[in-house]
Amino acid sequence: MTDQSASQGQTQVVGAAVRLSGGGPLDGAPEGAPDDVSFVPVGPEREQRRTRRFRSARWVMLGFVAPALVIYLLMVIVPSIQSLQLSFTNWDGISPDYEYVGVRNYEEILTSGRFWNAVKNTLILGLGSAVIINAISLGVALMLDKVGRWQGFFRTAVYLPALVSGFILATVWKYLLNFNFGAVNTFLRDAGFPEWARDWLGDSSIVVGVILFITCFTLGGNTTLIYLANLQSVPQELTEAARIDGANSRQVFRHVTWPMLAGAVTVNMTLAMIAGWTIFDQVMVLTAGGPGFVSETMAFFIYKVGFGEYRAGFGSAAAIVLFLVVIVSTVAANAYMRKREIQA
Amino acid sequence: MSTETELLVAPARKPRRQKATPKKLTAGQIAVMAVLAVLVLIVASPVIYAFLNSFRSYAEITVDPMGLPTQFTLDNYIQLFQQTDYGEALLNTLIITVATVVLLVAIVPMAAYGIERVGGRTSRFLYILFIAGLMIPFQVRMIPLVKGFDEVGLYSTLTSVILVHLGGAASFGILLYCSFIKGIPIEVEEAAHVDGAGRLRTFWSIVFPMLLPVTSAFVIIQALGLWNDFFIPLVFLDSSSAGTINVAINRMVGLLTSQWQLIYTGAILAIIPSVAIFAAFQRYFIKGMSVGAVKG
Repeated sequence: MTDQSASQGQTQVVGAAVRLSGGGPLDGAPEGAPDDVSFVPVGPEREQRRTRRFRSARWVMLGFVAPALVIYLLMVIVPSIQSLQLSFTNWDGISPDYEYVGVRNYEEILTSGRFWNAVKNTLILGLGSAVIINAISLGVALMLDKVGRWQGFFRTAVYLPALVSGFILATVWKYLLNFNFGAVNTFLRDAGFPEWARDWLGDSSIVVGVILFITCFTLGGNTTLIYLANLQSVPQELTEAARIDGANSRQVFRHVTWPMLAGAVTVNMTLAMIAGWTIFDQVMVLTAGGPGFVSETMAFFIYKVGFGEYRAGFGSAAAIVLFLVVIVSTVAANAYMRKREIQA
Repeated sequence: MSTETELLVAPARKPRRQKATPKKLTAGQIAVMAVLAVLVLIVASPVIYAFLNSFRSYAEITVDPMGLPTQFTLDNYIQLFQQTDYGEALLNTLIITVATVVLLVAIVPMAAYGIERVGGRTSRFLYILFIAGLMIPFQVRMIPLVKGFDEVGLYSTLTSVILVHLGGAASFGILLYCSFIKGIPIEVEEAAHVDGAGRLRTFWSIVFPMLLPVTSAFVIIQALGLWNDFFIPLVFLDSSSAGTINVAINRMVGLLTSQWQLIYTGAILAIIPSVAIFAAFQRYFIKGMSVGAVKG
C-alpha cells in the first residue's frame, strides 16, 4: 500500500518536471500570490513565530543550497545556454574565434538525410527498447511475484546481469558477432546452418535491428524491481474478489492488476525513453555509426560531428534539436499515459 | 520451519504475503522458477563466455571459438596489467567513483534540506531549477563543457570528469532527497535549535542520520552508474590520460585488434567491483530500490 501511493508520488514529480520545463520555470505560480501559503492556517501566533524564525534563517538555508547550486549552474545550466549560442555559429571546436551564421546550421540539419536517418534510428532504438525492456521487466516481475519463498534468491539472480554495464555487454557482443571467429557464426556453422552466418554488424539491412536486440538483452534490473514493488502492493482483496466473481487469471490481470500498475508503467516508460533517446555506448562500441552512417543515433551524431568532424557549431545545433525531441516526446508520452491512467 | 517459529513468537504480526502460501511448492511455482533460471542463464551467457575465454590464449580462441578453457591460468590477467594502462585506468575509475560519491553526499542532502526549508516561492523555484536538469541530455552540455575546461586548463583531468558528474547527478539527488525531507517534522529540528545547536550542526547531527535510507540508495545507484560510465570519461579524457576502465578497454578494441583475450579479461575485471558493491549493500539496495526509487 505504501509503495503504491509512493509510486504515484514520483509520477507526479516527473509530471511536474515535464510540465514546467516545457513552459518556463515559474509557469504555474500566479503573480502576487501570498508567499507562504502553506504556513498560514492552524495556530496563527505560532505560525508567525516560525515564519519569522525562518526568515532569519533564510540566508543560512540559501547557504546550504549554494555549493550544489554553483556546481549545477556551471556544469548544467550555463553550458546548455552556451550550446544554444554556439548553435548559431560556425565554430570548429578548436580555433579561438568563430562567426555567427544565423539559423544556417538548423537549415542544414533539417535538410540532411544523414541527420534524419539518425533521428529514425533513435526512434527505433529509443521507443523500441523502452517498450521491449518494459514488457520483459513486467513479465519477469510477474514471475518473481509467483515464486513464493524463493523470491529473494531469484530477485538477486535476476538483478545480477543488470550490474554489467551496457558498454561491457556491447564490447563482448562485438566479439561474439565477429564474422570469422565470433561464437555466434561458429555456432551456426557447427550446427549445420552455415548460410545463416552473416556479418551481423556490417550488413546495413540488419545492423539497427542487431543493436536493438543487444540493447534489449536484459531482464530489466531496476525496472523489474519497480514493477515488483508495485505488484506486491496490489491489495490481495481485489484479486481475490475478482476470482470469487469468476474471473480467470488473464481477466484478473487485465482488469485488476494492470490498471493498478498504470503509475509504474508511466514512470518506467518515461525513464526508459529518456535513456533511449540518448543511446550512445552500444552504437559507439558495436559499429561506430557504420557501415557508412547507417546506424548513427542522434547522440552519436552529435559526438561524431562535434569532435570527429570539427563542426562544434553544427553539433551544438543538433544537440538543441535532441533536447527538443526529449522534451516534446516526454511531455506527449506522459500526457498520453496519464490519460490512460485515468481511464483505467 | 522457520516461518512457523516466527509466527509462534510473534502471532500478532501480519504474516507477509509470500509466507501465506503453502509450504510445499506447487508445480506452477517450480515451472516459473525453471523459466527464470533459464532466462538468467541466457542473459548472463555473454558474460559467462567472456569469463571462460579470459583463461584462454588468443590462438585457442580463434582456432575454436566455442571451446572451453583447458587449464586455469591467470596469464591474461597478468598480461593485462603489464602490457596496457589497465592498472592506472582502474585507479582512475576508483578515484572518480569515490570522490564523486563523497562530494555528492557532502553537498546534495544539504542542498535539498535548504531547498525544502527556505520556504515560499524561492523553495519552489530552486526545486524546479534542479529538476529541469533531468530533461537536459548530457550531449546538450558536452561541447561547451569541453571548451570551458580547455580554457581553464582542466581538460583531460580527473577533476573535470568529477565536476561533470556532480552537475549531472545533482538533479536526481535533489529529487530523491526533497521528497524524503518533506516528511521530516520541523519540530525535531526546532527542539535541537532550542538546545543551542547551530543550523549546520542541526542538519548534520539530527537531519542527516534520518536520511540514511535515502543516502544508501543514492550512494549505491550513483556508485554503480559512475563505475559503469563510458561516455563522460570518453569525452573528457584524451590520450594524455590512461582513462577509466571502460575507456581503456575501448582503446584496446581500437589499437590491439587481435588481443581478444585481454579484452575479455578487462571486461571481467570491470564487472567484479560492481558485483562486489552490490553484494556488500544488497540488503540496502533492494530496499532502497523498492522504497527509494519507487518513492523517488
